[in-house]
Amino acid sequence: MTIQNIALFQALGAKMDYLDTKQKVIAQNISNADTPNYRAREISDVDFGRVLSDVTGSKKVRMASTNAGHMPAAGEVSKGKNVKQKTTYEVAPSENSVILEEQMMRANETSIDHTLMMNIMRKNIGMIRTALGQGGGQ
Amino acid sequence: MTNMFSTMTISTHGMRAQGERVRVIAQNLANADTAPLKPGDDPYVRQVITFKNEMDKASGEKLVQVDEVKKVDKEQFITKYMPDHPAADDQGYVKMPNVNMLIEMTDMREAQRSYEANLGMVEQSRDMMMRTIDMLR
Repeated sequence: MTIQNIALFQALGAKMDYLDTKQKVIAQNISNADTPNYRAREISDVDFGRVLSDVTGSKKVRMASTNAGHMPAAGEVSKGKNVKQKTTYEVAPSENSVILEEQMMRANETSIDHTLMMNIMRKNIGMIRTALGQGGGQ
Repeated sequence: MTNMFSTMTISTHGMRAQGERVRVIAQNLANADTAPLKPGDDPYVRQVITFKNEMDKASGEKLVQVDEVKKVDKEQFITKYMPDHPAADDQGYVKMPNVNMLIEMTDMREAQRSYEANLGMVEQSRDMMMRTIDMLR
């Protein structure tokens, strides 16, 4: 048994993967803040509650998607899609729709979510350690 | 984790592009008073820089690159009355560069702001990476 087999850790891993990708898209927006004709992009929202209930609730056998091209199985949540941002505050005359403040705010949100995931993971590992009797209940 | 490294590459390229922009602005400002050598010649022409988002095969990511640095010749040169200047015409006027200090300074501020935003992104990604590594302890 590895730690990845525990449902909660699986969901946490999925969320962190999503946050990593989100951070990358924000970096791309910020670096293109002065590129003419560049439209800001974002990662579409993913319902992680469904991921969690999917891995915890059922006793179904799930197919593992080992390739980015694999279609999600029924009841499985797909990965966030890289799409053009629909609503922006304003578009510059050069047809660039990146607002630095907005992107920085999103980056901060991502960072906060990331810290939250880390802490949940740490607490859970602490719980497992306690159960193992190694006094890791920090 | 690989996404985090891509994030850093993307932001670093953004910083490099903004650095190049500041270089062009510095060149414009330094040549704000570069008059022609003889009558009839054109003085220094103001340059502008444009960016593009292009696929980088090495990293597999779209990175911001300098599209081109080109001369702006739409703007009229400023004429200045300097009869003693070697490049003065019959009436005593010299054509001076079309560099507007105010525009250059504003542009520089914008470049600085974008550079800082990219830097902030690098720092934040680094922090996230460090926090993940700290889980090992």
